[in-house]
Amino acid sequence: MGTLCIQLRSGTMMNMDSNVAVKLAKAAMDKGHKVTMFGYGEAVTLIKDGQDPKRFPNVGKEISKMTAEGLEVVVCETCCVARGIHRGEEIRGTKIGSLTNDFSRMAAEADRLVTIAR
Amino acid sequence: MPSKLFILLKSPHEYRDLDAVAALGGDDRVGVLLFEDATLFPALKDRRDELIDVADEIYVMGDDLDARGLRSKVGKEFQVIDYPRAVDLIMDEFDQTITL
Repeated sequence: MGTLCIQLRSGTMMNMDSNVAVKLAKAAMDKGHKVTMFGYGEAVTLIKDGQDPKRFPNVGKEISKMTAEGLEVVVCETCCVARGIHRGEEIRGTKIGSLTNDFSRMAAEADRLVTIAR
Repeated sequence: MPSKLFILLKSPHEYRDLDAVAALGGDDRVGVLLFEDATLFPALKDRRDELIDVADEIYVMGDDLDARGLRSKVGKEFQVIDYPRAVDLIMDEFDQTITL
């Protein structure tokens, strides 16, 4: 089995990119692959605790479940602060980190890097 | 033979052309994987033919086709797949992915 890193830049409510990424991550984990996910730009909304979309899939709930099953999710702190999201407001098990430290490591460790962004 | 899997997410109308696939694909084995609004490609004759010209294999995400009621529009040049199959393509059957 291998390691798949998924890179995201779209917000959870902008389009279906984060839903595609979550379904791809789930299918990969079900096959026994390790999956890491890094979000920046609007994708930092991925880890915001307390998401409650009324008529859309709740990506936050999926992320919360999957991090408990081994998915590693990190987002960029600079992009978070720019949008008023601060440490302590992330879903338990996810991390507000950095492109420099976290994404570079995740990309280096991955067998495949997939960008789900436009 | 080196291989590249191009991932397209946007509507065919949002891609001025597919020259980047041909240019980046070169002589490699070129696969294209269509998600979200890119699943409209099979339904638009001109864009469909343009895609068939630049790709050796074309895969379409069944979930997104069904969400848009497009499954009947898919011709034999397109392989309808699910997420486990997409993982195999990414992890085992192509050397790298490029998202356009």
